[in-house]
Parts: sequence; structure tokens; C-alpha cells
Amino acid sequence: MTRYLRLLRLFFRAELQYELEYRLNFVLEIVETAVVTATSVGAVLILFSYTTVLNGWDLGAMLVLLGCFYLVQGFGEFALQPSFEKFLENVRLGTLDFALLKPASPQFQVTLRYFRVAQLAQMALGAVVVAVGLSRIPAIGLAEAIGFPIALICGFVLIYALLVALSTFAFWFVRVDNLMALYWSFMDAGRFPVDVYPGWLRVTLSSAVPIGVAVTVPAQVIAGRLDPLGLGFLILGTIAAFILASRFWRIGLRSYTGASA
Amino acid sequence: MTEAVVDVRELRKTFRVTEREEGLAATLRSFVKRRRKDVNAVAGITFRIDPGEIVGFLGPNGAGKTTTLKMLSGLLYPSAGDAKVLGYVPWRRENAYLGLMTLLMGNRTQLVWDIPAADSFRVLQEIYRIPEDRFRAAVNELTELLELQELVHKPVRNLSLGERMKVEFAAGLIHSPSVAFLDEPTIGLDISMQVRIRRFVAEYNRRTGATILLTSHYMDDVVALCKRVIVIHRGRLLYDGPLADLAERMAPYKIITATLHDGAAPSTDLDSYGTVVSRDEGRVMLRVDRQVAPERTARLVNDLGDRLADISVEDPPIEEIIDRVFTSEQATVSA
Repeated sequence: MTRYLRLLRLFFRAELQYELEYRLNFVLEIVETAVVTATSVGAVLILFSYTTVLNGWDLGAMLVLLGCFYLVQGFGEFALQPSFEKFLENVRLGTLDFALLKPASPQFQVTLRYFRVAQLAQMALGAVVVAVGLSRIPAIGLAEAIGFPIALICGFVLIYALLVALSTFAFWFVRVDNLMALYWSFMDAGRFPVDVYPGWLRVTLSSAVPIGVAVTVPAQVIAGRLDPLGLGFLILGTIAAFILASRFWRIGLRSYTGASA
Repeated sequence: MTEAVVDVRELRKTFRVTEREEGLAATLRSFVKRRRKDVNAVAGITFRIDPGEIVGFLGPNGAGKTTTLKMLSGLLYPSAGDAKVLGYVPWRRENAYLGLMTLLMGNRTQLVWDIPAADSFRVLQEIYRIPEDRFRAAVNELTELLELQELVHKPVRNLSLGERMKVEFAAGLIHSPSVAFLDEPTIGLDISMQVRIRRFVAEYNRRTGATILLTSHYMDDVVALCKRVIVIHRGRLLYDGPLADLAERMAPYKIITATLHDGAAPSTDLDSYGTVVSRDEGRVMLRVDRQVAPERTARLVNDLGDRLADISVEDPPIEEIIDRVFTSEQATVSA
């Protein structure tokens, strides 16, 4: 296990070095993130200048939700998207072979290999927005304070499991870029609480695509809208999703034969 | 008898491939319904390799070389048959086995494009759990043998093809594997880089005693490195034995090259000595049966007398032998 942590550190360091080589690009990416975040916070503020409550969500809770969205999306773009994009490319080119030749978990080597360090800025901004939102919520109990980070981590893991499951299809169909694009656009819908969407979409968002869960649940915890039982289900569900997705990936791997003979 | 490092028995691999004719209509048909066909990439081959050997694995494109190497390195499950490498069944992909072998592919790179190789080496150190002192020793040795020096500190994308291949070799061998499968390691490299890679492989084998199975399209690689060759064609084993005997078995003739002082005048009738292969400015090449080569040579020397400037008797070039093997589709010949 510590070996995998050391590997993660090495992967991360390499990516950091690489990104710092292109200073301008690095700075621009951070600026872009800041602008995008600021605009959507602005949009929420405008919305709440006309109303005080949106389907039971007041401004504080809404900001927490938005912050969670940026935390989760930032995590996706920082830690997941780069590796999964490379993974699809590797399946197509047959360079996935190299991961299979190594005495270490192929899934680990492939899915947590690349990082977009500049996207940490998005996570940081997300944290700031969460903090601002929290400051508007009068009292936060101990249970909420403990439940929130747990729910958030479950959110990260759920997103990871979903991507693992989706990308597994690449083993059989080779080109699944569209599937992944679908995922990223669903991701976008997560910036509003799932319960503002019509029923059918809500079900899609929070079951097939657990982005709603990943973003909304942590915010619900803070807003005191989730009981311990719900949190327990979330934890169990997350563990199950992770195990199932990893299994599925291994099954897919078995039918991988490399791009050439 | 020593324990074989590679022990392959009746290994087979059948691929199911999608087939379609050219043209848009066929493409559309294939989009809806795929027509599939079984291809026997490897159709039952058996061989063994002893510790420390360098064996050349020869065959035309599509002969099944890479498929065999992929099965031996655990990337593919065979359709039938057995193989053991260092006592392990490769496709079980046990970590213990993966740590003892390497597969280098001349046309693919495992190095991360945007970062210096030295950083990739560190990752490999962690993956293979190489202790720091052994890691340093390996890096130093490979740096010396491959003349890497500053190459490992440049981003890989800034390296030339030849430089990248050298670094690739270092990455593939950093864990000091006991068995190395090299698939076209010199492909696309210029002659001098080919020579250096060859020298490196020979020296590496000498120093470490690693067993090496190598495929190459460049016969020079094979001639320089391999005492023994295995020839496969259409998934079947055609020849397994000393490189030196390949000519004898596969090409029952020799080439006599005679150089004449006065130029080979058209009047000189050489057809009675053998088949004239080429004739230019005073140089004649004759193909003669192996058995009669000494006698014909003696007669040539005798008959041409003072007109003869030089004469040599050689096996045909190895490329020609191999080409002959593949085009004539001989029955299995094993040593």
C-alpha cells in the first residue's frame, strides 16, 4: 500500500514538473478556472436576489452545493480525466501492454497515472465557496462536520468508480470517446441540486450517473437534510461501486489483446 | 540437461478477426453485421531455450513472431498448448514472473513523452521494488553501456528516434530481468545506431547471462547476435537450429564469385560451371550445387588460369536463404 502511495507521489511530481515547464499555460489555466467559478457564483447570487429559497435550498446551502460541485469536478479534472483520456488512447494504440508487463496493479497504473495539477486551483476555489456558504449557515453540528468530508470522499470515489466502469467498454469497442463525453456533460448538470430537476432526469443523474450523489449529498449533509442512515447507505454504496467497477474492469482487461499482433 | 528458461509446447493462438470488403456499401454492411474469420496466428510451435542463449526468431510479417512473444510475456492467452518461462506460466501474470522478464518493442514506447526518462526510471524503481543501491548500479551500468549520460535528463519528446530507443532499452532492463524478449529492437534506426544496439545486446548478455529471444527484420542483427535461430512461417516452425546450418539445410547451393583481369568477355562461356546469377565489369557470380562447389571452383581456377584476379566461394546471403524458405514453403525441417 505504501508503495502505491509512493508511486502516486512520483506520478504527481512528474506531472507537476511537466506543467511548470509551460508557465504561461499553467497560469492561464488557473485564471480560466477562477473566471468560470466566479461567473457561476455570480449566477447563483443573481438568482437569489429574486428569491430566498430554491426548492428548499437557501443561499448558504446553495453555495455549499456549488462549492462541492467545483470540488468534485476539480477532482475529476485534476486526478481522473487526464488518466482516463490517456487510457483510452493506450487501448487504441496498444501501449496498455506496458502496464500489463509490470508487477503492479494494472488498474492503478492506468487510472491514476496522470494529473492536471492546475486543476487543483478549481478544488481550492471550490473549498473557498464551500467555506463562504458555511459561514452563512448559522449552526453546524458535530455530526454534520464529520459527515461532510466523508460524503465528499464518497463522492470522489463514486466518480472514479463510474469512470472505471464506463472506460471498461473500451476493451471491447476500442473507441468510446462519446461515452466519456456524455459523462462530462452530465457532470455539468451537477452544479444544481438534483431535486430541482424533473423526476426522470433526477433518477438518471443520481443513479446511472452518480454525479448528483457526489455533489448533492455532501451539501445535504451540511444542510442537515441527510440522516445517518442515508450516510451509511452512501458509504456502503460507494464501497460496492468501487469493488464492482474494479471487477468489471478486470473482466474487460481479459479480452484486451493489444492493437497489433 | 539444464533446466530450460523458455519451454514452449504445441503453443497455438487463434484470433477472430472482422472481415470486410472495400467500399462504402461493404462498410455499411459490416457496421450492422460483422463477418468474422478465424486466423491461426500461431499454429502449434514447440521449442526450448537454455539459460544465457541469444536466439533469433525469424519470419516474415504476420508469421506469428510477435504473437508468440506476447504469449510468452503474458499479454495474450494462448488458444491451446503450454509454455513455461523460468518455471512460470506467463499468462498467469504473477508478479514474481513479471519482475524477472522484459518485453521491448521497437515500435512502441513505454516512456512518458513529456518528462525526462530519469523520472520514468524512478517510477520503475518503485514498481519493481528495486533497492536504492541496486537501482543506482543498474542505472550506472546502463548509462555506461548505452552512452546515455545527459539523454536521461531531457524530456523524451526531445530525443531522436535512436536516442529514444537507447533510453527505452534502459527502461526495459532497469530491473535486471533474467529473460528479455526483444521485438524488432532496431527497427527504423540508422546503421550506426543499429550496430551500437547490437553491441549493447551482446555485451548485456555477456555480463548478465540473461536469456534473450529476439525478432528482427535486419539479418545483420541476427548474424551478429544469434548462434541459433528459430524460423516460423504462417504460425508453424520451419527451422530450429544453428544459424550456421541454416544455409546448408535451406539453401542447397553456394555462390562462386570470380573476378577476371580482362573483364568477363561475353565469349567466355561459364554456363558449364553453374548458373550465372550476375555478370558485370569483370565480376561473375555463379550459383552451383553445394556438393559440386569444390570441384567447380577447382575447374574454374584451372580453366581461367592467369585471367583470374580473385575467386570466392560463399553461402548465399542470409536474406536470400530466408526469402527462399518463405517463398518455397518447404515442409517442416527441424534440426
